[in-house]
Amino acid sequence: MPVDMSKYLSLFVTEATEHLESLGRDLVELEKTGGTASIDSMFRHAHSVKGMAASMGFEVAATLAHRVEDLVDAVRSDASLLDRELVDLLLSTTDTLLSQVRAAAEGQPPEDSGPIERQLSERLARITGRSPSPTKVAQATARPSAPPVPPAAPKAPAPAEKENPQERDAGLGLPPRFGLKVRIAQSCAVPGVRAFLVHKRLSGLGNVFDLKPALEDLKAGRIPDGLVSLELETSAGEAGVRGALGNISEVEVLSLKPVVFTAPSPPAPMPSPESAKVVGHEAARTVRVRTELLDYFLDTAGELLLATARIREVGKALPARSQPSLDEAVDRLHGLVKDLHDKVMKARMTPLSVITDRLPRAARDIARRRERDVDLVVTGADIELDRAILDDLADPLLHLLRNCIDHGIESPEERAAQKKGARGRVLVSVRRARDRVVVEIEDDGRGMDPEKLKAAALARGLITAEVAGRLSDAEAYTLCCLPGVSTARDVSEISGRGVGMDAVKRAVESVGGTLEIESERGRGTRFILKLPLTVAVVNLLLVAVGEEIFGLPIAKVIGAVEAEAGTLSRSREAALLPYAGSLLPVHPMADLLGIPDLPRVGPRPFVVMEAESGRVALAVDRLLGQEEVVLKALSRPLDLVPGLSGVTILGTGRPVFILDVPRLLAA
Amino acid sequence: MAKRVLVVDDAIFMRNMIKDIFSSGGFEVVGEAANGLEAVEKYKELKPDLTTMDIVMPFKSGIEATREIVKHDTNAVVIMCSALGQESLVMEAIEAGAADFIVKPFRAEDVLAVVKKVVGEA
Amino acid sequence: MRHVIFRLDKERYALPLSAIREVVVPPGQFTRVPRSPPSVRGVINLRGRVVTVVELRSLLGLPEPSPASQKIVLLDRGRRDLGLLVTEVDGIESIEKVAPAPGKPAASVRGVARLKGLAVTVLDPDGVDGAVAACFAR
Repeated sequence: MPVDMSKYLSLFVTEATEHLESLGRDLVELEKTGGTASIDSMFRHAHSVKGMAASMGFEVAATLAHRVEDLVDAVRSDASLLDRELVDLLLSTTDTLLSQVRAAAEGQPPEDSGPIERQLSERLARITGRSPSPTKVAQATARPSAPPVPPAAPKAPAPAEKENPQERDAGLGLPPRFGLKVRIAQSCAVPGVRAFLVHKRLSGLGNVFDLKPALEDLKAGRIPDGLVSLELETSAGEAGVRGALGNISEVEVLSLKPVVFTAPSPPAPMPSPESAKVVGHEAARTVRVRTELLDYFLDTAGELLLATARIREVGKALPARSQPSLDEAVDRLHGLVKDLHDKVMKARMTPLSVITDRLPRAARDIARRRERDVDLVVTGADIELDRAILDDLADPLLHLLRNCIDHGIESPEERAAQKKGARGRVLVSVRRARDRVVVEIEDDGRGMDPEKLKAAALARGLITAEVAGRLSDAEAYTLCCLPGVSTARDVSEISGRGVGMDAVKRAVESVGGTLEIESERGRGTRFILKLPLTVAVVNLLLVAVGEEIFGLPIAKVIGAVEAEAGTLSRSREAALLPYAGSLLPVHPMADLLGIPDLPRVGPRPFVVMEAESGRVALAVDRLLGQEEVVLKALSRPLDLVPGLSGVTILGTGRPVFILDVPRLLAA
Repeated sequence: MAKRVLVVDDAIFMRNMIKDIFSSGGFEVVGEAANGLEAVEKYKELKPDLTTMDIVMPFKSGIEATREIVKHDTNAVVIMCSALGQESLVMEAIEAGAADFIVKPFRAEDVLAVVKKVVGEA
Repeated sequence: MRHVIFRLDKERYALPLSAIREVVVPPGQFTRVPRSPPSVRGVINLRGRVVTVVELRSLLGLPEPSPASQKIVLLDRGRRDLGLLVTEVDGIESIEKVAPAPGKPAASVRGVARLKGLAVTVLDPDGVDGAVAACFAR
């Protein structure tokens, strides 16, 4: 009955990946703290991967995992073996395994891991003084002729041999004794354990004497020809003995006959087996749901909301007498669907640890490459966010961490000169602030130089000298997020802020978050990410521009006014709208969006919004009202359009884009 | 009536595979547990005819769970799922009361042969 | 491999059936995508999904169509929603041998095949996908 392994592949890939990532984290943690707490969990991870890979028939991966398991086991008995070199080796093995798992996922052959496997074997041989045992994988078991694997030496101290496990009641006389010969099947992979089971089963019936081979040899699998003989004193009778052995696989009873009583050996006390240390913990009852399925639930729940809105819309055409009952039904439906939607949103909440767990490993790698000494502290990672936001946050966080270590933290010598501790510190802290989650990444490095940033932005023509003069330091730091500035090499070296900050800012803003930067020269830099808990439902102001409809997030709208074109002030060619005591620059929405503007007379509405540079007035054609909508993320290629933050479908069925006004103005 | 099985393993992957093997062999998998703690609870709740038990698991090892299950029900049939290289652990589990064991990587026919023998169907 | 055969004006093209989710009739109105490249017709609401629709002819750099495009071929690109406007869809045919296309190579084009004596340009779904992204990125 061959098992079709392909259906397990995706599960194998997810689980093996999780185990390997945890293994990497444990390694970094272990190296840092020097404690032994994570060794058991490391062993478990390696062990699980080995088992899974072997079952899937991925021989190379199984072998690597086996070596890791052996090495971790060695470290378990002697923690001093874990030096930096060994951590490096184990980490790169973990990486190799991860890429092999990825290759398996894509149906590709695994990358060559011969060199690393040799390194592992050498290291293992040096530590244990024996060559590593072969790893058994699924294909091998398909052939009964597979060579038997010599069992490893027992790891735990073996319990004392017990030939008389029970105290006997001497007063009642002795039960009959049987001579027994059994053979363990040649095909048995672990004859030692098989024989031990036989011994255990028989010990349960009475007392065992004259065991051959001796229990120690038996347990170690040293059983010539698989033959085991013993005498058993039991009142269970021949049928009882046969019964006890009858349901053990791979064992054949060769002979069973009564023997004449000889003097029994004195009873020995039964050793109480060492019980494994147990960590009390209430296991959470969870089921695993594929993330695509969660996305699908959210999509569907969102579409149900839209469909409900559509029914309400269509119902307006019904005669007035049918209205109340329809409204009531639609209200109830809306309530139910909203509740369902909320529950789905809740199910999507995922702790930030899913992404911060990768940071310690990354910090170690970056710090080693840059020859920096860095301590990374992560707090509050149990706080939850919608997984759509988390997915988009993984790379930016990593990027900010790299930025802090690459450019923020000074070399140990430089730090010493500044009278700072030799080890740099990067703190990643997460906290809830009302309906937002605030993630801060902070280093105690050299800080940024606002003047250098301004000069760089000026040199690239991104700002004018006038603007540069007006910028506060806080504003100047955000210049590093402008594409030209952040990629400028000299800036990344001089001011200490690197490549790709524009990408970070974009990613944070695309999920509805904001990025702020605080910095102090010589003291360090702090990146502050303020993120929404969820992205899905937003309140929009709908506006008409030409024949199109767009949504503006209400949260960013300050107000709306109507004004005659003639009442606008003008400064040079730009129009200015008087609003709340100041003059706001006017941007015709049609121009911003590249839509033909309709000729018009009379007053027109203006929407006042907050933008990067302050308040702006957007000239639109009509205000259509406010609506709570389900935001859909922009799928490729729409996400490439600057100035769009999402899309939704109105009750009428019409798709409507939600605008990101600051980016629209910047683009 | 089909024998009722409880499957204990911390890897979903392994659980699914074992479940499939049992289903193909005419057993009924009535529950699963991902760690030793849950295994003991589930055992008490479901009283299965047969329990397959992984050894290396979080919170509580399969050995400890087996010990508790057998203490709770002396007729419990617990089959250890072990890997090569875990011989000493399996023996410890047998000491703790495990009825038999199967060795990873699993082959359906091997697993079913062991299990059917243990429950007296072979 | 089975391919969906369609026409741009009179020219015949093919995409692997496995790369196509469905074929739909364009709605009366598209929602315009602001600041999008000219090849992009707009987005439509397809049973609650927002699908970006691209004029394939323009994407491939062909002249403007004489008859209006009649069908949208929806690519099945994971969770991406991308539709290609084509003149008409002819059906599904098996294409095995694909020869390199004459002229300079393009990522969107896998090659040419013969079907009942007539030439068919076989498109590469990933290449088409890439071309759409590329025209946005410009």
